[in-house]
Amino acid sequence: MTRAGLAAASLRARLPPGAELRRVGGILLRVAAGVFGGYGVAALATMLLSVSLPMPRAEAVVTATMASFAVHAGAMVWAFAARGAWRAAGGIAGAAAVLWLSLLMQGR
Amino acid sequence: MMPTAMGLAFAGFAALSLAMDRHGEQVLGRRGLPAWQRRGLRVAGSALLGGSLTAVVGQHGWGMGLIVWTGLLTAAAMALAMLLCYRPRAVPMALAGIGIGLVVTWVGG
Amino acid sequence: MKDGFRQSMAWLHTWSGLLVGWVLFAVFLTGTAAYLRPETSFWMRPELGVSRPAPGDAEVALRAMQGLAPTSPSWFIVLPDERETTTRVFWRAGPGRGGFREAVLDPATGERAAARETMGGEFFYRFHFQLHYVSVLWGRWIVSVCAMFMLVAIVSGIITHRRIFKDFFTFRPGKGQRSWLDGHNVAAVLALPYHLMITYTGLVLFMLMVMPWGVERAYPGDRAAFQAEAFGREAARPRVGTPAPLVPLAPLMEEAGRHWPGARISRVNVTNAGDAGATIQLVRADSERISFNAQSLTFDGATGALLQARGENRPAAEVRGVMYGLHIGRFAGPALRALFILSGLAGTVMVGSGCVLWAVKQRQAALKRGRVGFGVLLVEHLNVAAIAGLPLAMAAFLWANRLLPTGMTDRAAWEVHVFFIAWGACLLHPLLRRGRRAWVEQFALGAAAFALLPVLNVAVTERHLLASLLGGDAVRAWFDLGLLACGGLLGALAWKVSRHRPAGAGRRGGRVPDGAEGEPARAPAGRAAPAIAAATDA
Repeated sequence: MTRAGLAAASLRARLPPGAELRRVGGILLRVAAGVFGGYGVAALATMLLSVSLPMPRAEAVVTATMASFAVHAGAMVWAFAARGAWRAAGGIAGAAAVLWLSLLMQGR
Repeated sequence: MMPTAMGLAFAGFAALSLAMDRHGEQVLGRRGLPAWQRRGLRVAGSALLGGSLTAVVGQHGWGMGLIVWTGLLTAAAMALAMLLCYRPRAVPMALAGIGIGLVVTWVGG
Repeated sequence: MKDGFRQSMAWLHTWSGLLVGWVLFAVFLTGTAAYLRPETSFWMRPELGVSRPAPGDAEVALRAMQGLAPTSPSWFIVLPDERETTTRVFWRAGPGRGGFREAVLDPATGERAAARETMGGEFFYRFHFQLHYVSVLWGRWIVSVCAMFMLVAIVSGIITHRRIFKDFFTFRPGKGQRSWLDGHNVAAVLALPYHLMITYTGLVLFMLMVMPWGVERAYPGDRAAFQAEAFGREAARPRVGTPAPLVPLAPLMEEAGRHWPGARISRVNVTNAGDAGATIQLVRADSERISFNAQSLTFDGATGALLQARGENRPAAEVRGVMYGLHIGRFAGPALRALFILSGLAGTVMVGSGCVLWAVKQRQAALKRGRVGFGVLLVEHLNVAAIAGLPLAMAAFLWANRLLPTGMTDRAAWEVHVFFIAWGACLLHPLLRRGRRAWVEQFALGAAAFALLPVLNVAVTERHLLASLLGGDAVRAWFDLGLLACGGLLGALAWKVSRHRPAGAGRRGGRVPDGAEGEPARAPAGRAAPAIAAATDA
């Protein structure tokens, strides 16, 4: 092993065990939040906008569906820009919850 | 209209690039143009780009015009980028050629 | 925090681009080729003569359909135009998605085009949005997911690009990783509006498949009502059961001429032909406006009465139509189409240079660690097959078109098999020829394959370059010249790669094995004359 390799290995040995696991876990959480959570948020937003935009129903559906990709992309950027993985997941979950509640109220 | 608009776009981008340190040095051989010259170049560059937009929109209308214009900008910017990279000293010549071409078109048309 | 944000966006950009980079490269390259779909199809059917669209084409096609599919509930007839010289017909022969049949007809006689059986340019077109060998649904989903990753890559790329204006025109070859990044940036930024447009509109094309929840919520269980209200797409009239001959087409065409003075009819759709409940829909040519939303007139097939006029859409539907039209680009004249092709190639270079940049970075990091892992080797290997292999496979497809025997069964399918066999060979080849040699050989073979196609033409067809020039067949002449240009481009790439000297090889720890990529410095495809592979700096 080169000197650089030895240095890296000893650094890893000195960090608390599980730091690597936490780092990977954090990334996985962000990916899950952004990709799948983001899709959920986009879907919920599409549903809500489809029935609440001030335009004829069919028009609202078309508009909302076209905009959904921007929402999903935005969610993915948030999932990776947020300061911590839990904050990222929380933000996505929170947005989803708000949208879902709004849908429930709208449906009544 | 397309060659005119393309020429104007190229010239506009060239002016804008000359206002930058790196490209100014590549083309003119010296760094650090004074601030007023940079401003002048930027204004001229923007005006030339605006001119190319006018030429295109005049022929195609706004919808189609904007589409054609963005495609045209891509082509002009790429041509300039390659020239700046491989033959920076040819940029003034290219500009002269465009100038002559524009005058000829204007006089003839 | 701002730096942290930029960094996290850089991470997101790298991974979202990388995971789907190879698929996206294929989508971009075949998609760019699809801009020339009619020209490719015409070249791949050398038996066909140049034909001009004539007013009687629609009648001829209808008569042909009576013979081909008298009992089919739906006929779709695509009439020829300036670019498309054949009449293409589709009809429903059975239920479900797979129940469609198609044929290519001679516009003047209505007979099946007396040309070799081939998919023509349709192959590249369909491949770029639904792949091949997988079901249509799976293919479209995969491509849509990749397009979503592409959108994220673009957005995160814009955020992370620190000096987007300063580096606007910056390209510094011969500086290793820096050059790759420069090339990637130039290809991305200078055509950025196009990349954003093509990606977003691509997603919108399949939006009802990937995001059906709005429709579900607003029109629960009633898609048809949504289609009718949003796009004016009425449900198909059912069969009545009483036979009634179709009215002659001429008066209907005249009425269309009154509605749209000077316009051309591009499609004729017939339902329930021969029944009292038949309809004939005349669709106006798309190429006359950007929006893809068809303007059409629907007539009663038995009486000739006008049932419905479609085409005036409400704003949101019109926006969707424009997005659709922008992506398909059929409205573009030759100059604009050339610009689209340029931008499409820029996109291809953007994705390809991104993939190579990452491999280069990984190898650098691995050399520093002193150990080149399997991951690095895998990425380098897949890069060759995905980037250098695909053009070679496309050339192989065209070779198959010229060489496969005309009477062969499943000839069209076999042309496609040859494409994938060639691509598969490119996938295996780097196992035998490691490192730079694999790149050079695949590019060189691709160059030869393209450049020799016009020569092959002389040997096996009558439609070779000289004949095309003398006969005024502009499309085939330009196509042959284009093939030569592709060959030249690939040859230049092969030459550049073979001449490259890795930067700092031997100066870092460990010997760089022959052919391994240290810091390649190649100019982006073809937009520069083969430059001298400059001595690289440390």
